[in-house]
Amino acid sequence: MNNYFILDSLNLLFLIALVVVTVCVMIYQGFNYCKSAKENLRYYSIFFLFFLSMVGALLSNHLGLTWVFVEATTLTSAYLIMLHKSKNSLEATWKYTFLCSIGISLAFVGIILLLIGSGSVNSLFYNDLYANATAINPFWLKLSFIFILIGFGTKAGFAPVHSWLPDAHAEAPSPVSAMLSATLLNSAVLVILRLVKLMSLAGLGHTVQVLMLTMGLLSIFITAVYVYKIKNYKRMLAYSSVENMGIIAIGIALGSLGTIGALIHLLSHSLIKSSLFLTSGNILHLYNTKEVAEVKDLVNKNKCTSWLWLLGAMLILAIPPSPLFLSEFLIIKQFLLNQQYILCIVFVLLLTIVLFGIMSTVLKMDYSKDANTETQPVKLPFNNYLPQIFLIVTAIVLGIYMPNGLFELIKNAGGIIW
Amino acid sequence: MINLLIVIFGISMLYMATSSRIAAQTNMLRLQGIILCIITIFAHINELDTSSIWAAITSLFTHVDALVGATFLILETFVVKALIIPNVLDRVAEKNNIKRDNNPQFPNFYTLVISTIILFAGFIIASSQADILQNISSLYFGVSVSTIITAFVFIAIKKKLLTHIIGFAMLENGIFLLSLSIAKEMPLIVNLGVLLDVFIAVFILGLLIGEIGHIYGNPDVSQLCNLKDSEMAKDE
Repeated sequence: MNNYFILDSLNLLFLIALVVVTVCVMIYQGFNYCKSAKENLRYYSIFFLFFLSMVGALLSNHLGLTWVFVEATTLTSAYLIMLHKSKNSLEATWKYTFLCSIGISLAFVGIILLLIGSGSVNSLFYNDLYANATAINPFWLKLSFIFILIGFGTKAGFAPVHSWLPDAHAEAPSPVSAMLSATLLNSAVLVILRLVKLMSLAGLGHTVQVLMLTMGLLSIFITAVYVYKIKNYKRMLAYSSVENMGIIAIGIALGSLGTIGALIHLLSHSLIKSSLFLTSGNILHLYNTKEVAEVKDLVNKNKCTSWLWLLGAMLILAIPPSPLFLSEFLIIKQFLLNQQYILCIVFVLLLTIVLFGIMSTVLKMDYSKDANTETQPVKLPFNNYLPQIFLIVTAIVLGIYMPNGLFELIKNAGGIIW
Repeated sequence: MINLLIVIFGISMLYMATSSRIAAQTNMLRLQGIILCIITIFAHINELDTSSIWAAITSLFTHVDALVGATFLILETFVVKALIIPNVLDRVAEKNNIKRDNNPQFPNFYTLVISTIILFAGFIIASSQADILQNISSLYFGVSVSTIITAFVFIAIKKKLLTHIIGFAMLENGIFLLSLSIAKEMPLIVNLGVLLDVFIAVFILGLLIGEIGHIYGNPDVSQLCNLKDSEMAKDE
């Protein structure tokens, strides 16, 4: 008899990221985020349900059950995104709920196709599928993988199906954006990783590599195009999430060192991106606008926020001592080992364009000045800095010194994927 | 009997694709829900030992677990797919005063042609590839796949938000039919979860229409285009 929920190295890694980010987000938003007690009750209970559905999605050992939980994350987070009920947030929520529901329905078609192909296996528990991987009809398995990749890829924000992501991330309240970007995308990636394992056991690893490499490079390309002249700094962060998900997809596609790089990338992206989204909440509070052009002289308005913003941006762009530098280095090394030189050059070029786009925007926000106006410093409560400081320090420590236990965990998790 | 029902399911899909009245579309959803419920019942009866009435009754009692599960699933299919979802959609239409989706992207006649071609192609592919399909009846497969594809066409050509949800419900019906077509079953918990999720999705989308209606007046997808990266959006 199989258990519906299991804990192995792979989902333990995801769970660590989820719990750390959630605790930090809770410290940031406190227990009084909405105006009235009634709204607070509703907000926090739905927030908690959202958290629980992600835990369920990470721990479940059954493909169908994972589907149920991932769809549940869409439905619970829908309310959180439209919290302010403004014109834009309603539009973003509509797009998010509708696109993700449709995408996830496609993933369910994929699951049914897998059942058709699996013949006598008749089980959707991952370990049963793995044990009988070669017995599954390869035609149906390939077809179902494509459906599942598109379906869960919609939730994970891979490029051709990412269009809900910038809208939802930009319009959600900042703590919710942090949760969406740092944890929700991961839980969809985990399902894809489980299926990648199935494909590689069935001897169809090549299909996975082609598909995921294409989606990954496309994700980075799209970011490079849009981030170059970005107007809204929360959208910029959202596009950066698309980019990082693309890098993770590429790392997984490359295998061996690339996979380890992808897992390090995933963990550290969660830490750094949530810190950046929380800091963007500070900026939104200070300036009351999401327009890049109207945010000026942040360094004199609030020193701590400006430093967190700059440091976070440097880390997310993989400038050492960022752990993302380590992971991207591993991925590039794997590119060279696989002798895919042209793809490697394209990858590095696109990353450089993204680096220029984001960094110039961040520097503009921090240091540009109006000649004739004097900026008055504004103070924010202490809990608006503390979680970001913790997240950024953790990330820097991971970039300089990776504890042995964590590295073993990541290595084991990498072994689970391929 | 089941084959007849599936053919009716296919025809209801064609009717939905061409009709522009909301009431007609929700009624077709009701019909599809009832058909799916009956097919679920038949699928479960087939598992019983039907050599004689007595054997059937004893096999009912020896599989109490399965019986309870099946009853639960059949009831939930009926309640969610045939009652709640169409009624919620009707209520939303009434509240927001939406009767028709009058201006689809192109005329309904072309939609009829397209969906007929899709249905036809579904049959051709399903019957020509019968050896890959293994143990699945090609009628099931053809109708369910073409319903799924037609639902996408439906969503793409209709303009009202409400009709998009109807398209989504139609898509889910197609997927449910596909999952019934394989003899193997999902565990009960998964089936219940899927139905619950679909219901909540329709419910939330319905509520959203109300909220969007408050702000935009008569909700229409072409109005939901504020969030863009380009310069043009800023000027408006």
